[in-house]
Amino acid sequence: MPGTTATPDIEIIVEDIGGGGGDDGDGGSDDGKRRRKWPASPKRYSTAIAIGIVAILMFFMALASAFIVLRSSSRVWVTVHLPPVLWANTCVLLASSFTLEAARRRLSLADVRGFRKFWMFTTVLGFLFVAGQLVAWRQLVAQGIYIASNQASSFFYIFTGAHAVHLLGGVYALLYVLARKFKETSVSRSTAAEIASFYWHFMDGLWVFLLALLYLGK
Amino acid sequence: MATDHSGTNHDGSPHGGFLSHYVFSTDHKVIGLNYLWLALFSVFLGMAMSLVMRIHLVWPGAHLPFFSGLGDSPERYAALTTLHGSLMVFLVLTAAPQAGFGNYFLPLQIGAREMAFPKLNLLAFWATVASFLGLTITFLIPAYTAITLWIVSVAIFCTASLANALNFSVTVIDLRGQGMTLPRLPLTVWAWFINAILGMLIFSILLASCVCLLSDRLLSTHFFSVMNFVANQPAGAIATAVPVLWRRLFWFFAQAEVYVAMLPCFGLITHLISTFSRKPVWRERFVVLALCGVGVFGFCVWGQHMFSSGMNPFSPLVFSLLASSLGVPATILLISWIETLWDARVRLNTAMLFALGFISLFLSGGLSGIFLARHDLASAAVSEDFVTGHFHLVMGVAAAFAILGALFFWFPKMFGRRLNESLGKIHFWLTFAGVYCVFMPMHWLGLMAHSRVSSANGLASVAAAGSSIRNFITGAILLTALSQGLFLANFLWSLFRGERVLENNPWRATTLEWTVSSPPPADDFGPSDPVVYRGAYEFSVPEVAEDFVPQHLAAGQVVKARESGE
Repeated sequence: MPGTTATPDIEIIVEDIGGGGGDDGDGGSDDGKRRRKWPASPKRYSTAIAIGIVAILMFFMALASAFIVLRSSSRVWVTVHLPPVLWANTCVLLASSFTLEAARRRLSLADVRGFRKFWMFTTVLGFLFVAGQLVAWRQLVAQGIYIASNQASSFFYIFTGAHAVHLLGGVYALLYVLARKFKETSVSRSTAAEIASFYWHFMDGLWVFLLALLYLGK
Repeated sequence: MATDHSGTNHDGSPHGGFLSHYVFSTDHKVIGLNYLWLALFSVFLGMAMSLVMRIHLVWPGAHLPFFSGLGDSPERYAALTTLHGSLMVFLVLTAAPQAGFGNYFLPLQIGAREMAFPKLNLLAFWATVASFLGLTITFLIPAYTAITLWIVSVAIFCTASLANALNFSVTVIDLRGQGMTLPRLPLTVWAWFINAILGMLIFSILLASCVCLLSDRLLSTHFFSVMNFVANQPAGAIATAVPVLWRRLFWFFAQAEVYVAMLPCFGLITHLISTFSRKPVWRERFVVLALCGVGVFGFCVWGQHMFSSGMNPFSPLVFSLLASSLGVPATILLISWIETLWDARVRLNTAMLFALGFISLFLSGGLSGIFLARHDLASAAVSEDFVTGHFHLVMGVAAAFAILGALFFWFPKMFGRRLNESLGKIHFWLTFAGVYCVFMPMHWLGLMAHSRVSSANGLASVAAAGSSIRNFITGAILLTALSQGLFLANFLWSLFRGERVLENNPWRATTLEWTVSSPPPADDFGPSDPVVYRGAYEFSVPEVAEDFVPQHLAAGQVVKARESGE
């Protein structure tokens, strides 16, 4: 730590907490400019996101297996009708994956303005999805269905809640790629965008899986 | 917050402020050492708890000064058991061999200068400290809040372990130095790597279970609650009602957790045995495969516990087979250790003694494990004491021996001084005898509890023998705990007054950490990156002056080794 106080360090750590949800490969927050005399390979971030995805998948598989076991062993399963707004949310999230890819294509054509536009659009769609999930929760609450009402509702809230937390980690990654200046870092903008896109598409697929699970298991 | 006034500081020099150097340092060596300090503190705390428990078992009426103030309710004893278990398993057995030694030596051994994500590493360490504090506080507060706090602490520990596992696996995959191909990795690194992947999978599951459990307690959902389970079952099943789902998820984690504690120890022991036998590891590739096998099977045997705890599992035969098939990699490891030792010029220093002690404990603990893997025997003939004896020998004490062996081995590298050998050997023999005297009679107690004695006379004699065995165990545990004082004294004395190590490589070992000064410089390898030319276990190579060839010597340099040594 040459000639600095330790305070910036702490700030970066706090910044790291914001990532949340295990997505630690969200694009190069760990680039030490200190103490390193050799180029850091950006490969570590894509490896990390791949391994992180496996861990997150395992987390949701544990919940999903609990859902399946309880669903099949239960004789008093109360069905929760999924709020219709979920379908709209799903469309929003799927669309965001396409805009993300569009942004990356712009970036590969060196069209940074176009990249920013589509990337921003993706981020907005991400926020829109989370807002839509909140609407779904409010609709259920309006029907008097709370998290503790029955097992199906518990799973509904836990699945959507855990997914939303992980997705917000993805939104953070998108914002990070948008805001960061990639001049002095070892990771290029396109690498960071690629890594963020892995996570984002994974969140997308995970949501489709969870929705299918909730829909088929109702 | 941190006041680091010395603006002229060099990179990571030891003259920096205390906070920036020890508390907020992202140096893998500092973090690794911090984990070891935490584990050292936890192990003595945990040992004190087991002492209190044994004393309570023998003299239930005795009033202990501190505990009487907390109220002598039966929950205190249960809380003590839980806390002893959680401290020992999480903060000692999981943290010390993997996060402690791993953080310190993994980058050094693979020729990296840092972990892949240093800040994440630091964050994980302080999360571990937070979970340690949370776990410890649970003992002092009322039961209901305490259990919630316990779950939160375990969840925090899970997150920290996940971050660690991520860091370890990425470091091994992407940060290996030049020439450090996979076959050249030291077996310690293999073990840390496989363990990180296993940890990645199982701590996610425990985290998910903790989330559900917390929501049960705080949001009054019904994922695991007994009432819910009872409502779903036919009337006959209610007598044995237990939340089956919780058991599944929990054992999915906990059975594999045993291997999470053991895997790095296997790596450490193989490394020590090869180094001090001055022979290459016997069938190194098979050992790597065996380590992978332990990981894979360990991940699959979760169902085995369902019948050990008296439940009718999904498929006893499958799990019994899987549990028994763990014997295959374990046997490969054992054969490799014995073949490596066979006909070797063994250097019987303290580190090696602990390694041999590990083999002995692992063997005796493993043999009683065979009884538990048979589902018909397990439910019929085995009570708590047998299981306690079994897993303490094979998991707790064996792993502790591996940790101690590694500490004696790496102490010169970490602190530039040696631990005292004579004191170390006395400590080893006292501990070795002590743990056998503690845990072998426990097996016996467990078997006796289920011996079917019909006459009242026989019952009385069994009870009498049982209580004398309990007294014996308590005596032995007092002795064992006291001899740990010897270790602590040795450790603290050697830290400040121990014999200085002037050379880089006092043990004549081959791996990269021995090429740097003791303790290693802040940037690990100095100006030039290390290059690796050969495997990690080239001992007793013919036609070389020394009986070993370090990994960093190129073929041309080895000849020179004839004149200059190293």
